[in-house]
Amino acid sequence: MHPQLELLLELQDLHTQRRALQDEPLRDMEEAVFDLKPEEALDLLDAKITELVGRLDPGIQSRYLSFIGTLGRAVVPVLNGICYGCFVATPTAWSAEAGRNDSIGVCAHCGRFLYYVD
Amino acid sequence: MQLRDFFTLEAISLDLAAETKDEALRELVGLLGLDEKSRGILFKMLKRRENLGSTGIGRRIAIPHCRSLVVNRLRVAFGRKLPGIDFDAIDKKPVQHIFLIVAPPLEVSNQYLPVLGRIAQFGKEPDIPERLAQIERPEEFIALLEEKGV
Ligand SMILES: [Zn+2]
Repeated sequence: MHPQLELLLELQDLHTQRRALQDEPLRDMEEAVFDLKPEEALDLLDAKITELVGRLDPGIQSRYLSFIGTLGRAVVPVLNGICYGCFVATPTAWSAEAGRNDSIGVCAHCGRFLYYVD
Repeated sequence: MQLRDFFTLEAISLDLAAETKDEALRELVGLLGLDEKSRGILFKMLKRRENLGSTGIGRRIAIPHCRSLVVNRLRVAFGRKLPGIDFDAIDKKPVQHIFLIVAPPLEVSNQYLPVLGRIAQFGKEPDIPERLAQIERPEEFIALLEEKGV
């Protein structure tokens, strides 16, 4: 896997975790069952996100930030040739070879970073 | 929806080799049959969640959980370590029973929260830690879920 793609995946997962802590039902469960302190957790996540964003290559970083900022999702899975960002099957999304995640691919239709899931 | 529908026998280990929390998380992730890179990313995310606060809910039960792009559907696993593992749990006691839950960021049927809730509810039943400790085969774990109607 391309090291920058690995970083992108990690970042997208952290954003998902962040959003989950702002989503009421899940936040309530995290507090009630796991005794989590949401505000402290958000601060910790933000610090980690800032650190990882700083490790992205400049071109990748700007694309990442623009998608995360406007739509909340910059890295999306590709399942059965469909980009799960825009739900369109694009030529880039149809790639079926092994090692598909060894390079950084973006959806020809919506422009998000693609991650191929088996 | 029933919890038993999510558990496969291959994702149940009644005798974890792990001695530490990290080893336990790795071993549980290993039960899901993902490729090496995905396992590494998932482990990292679970660790990040643990760093926000332990998922050891007390009474020897832990429920590590996260959403990640590396899985394409909701996955669960169960691992047991009778001598116990230090999980930094709420009650500071070692953990014997670990339920792993992972889901993709978006799910068509949105099962992550209900499954997490049901496992937490199951874990809170007074006799569960003892019953889980007595199980001898993975099939009995499934039967216990059925018996409790979760
Ligand atoms: Zn797309």
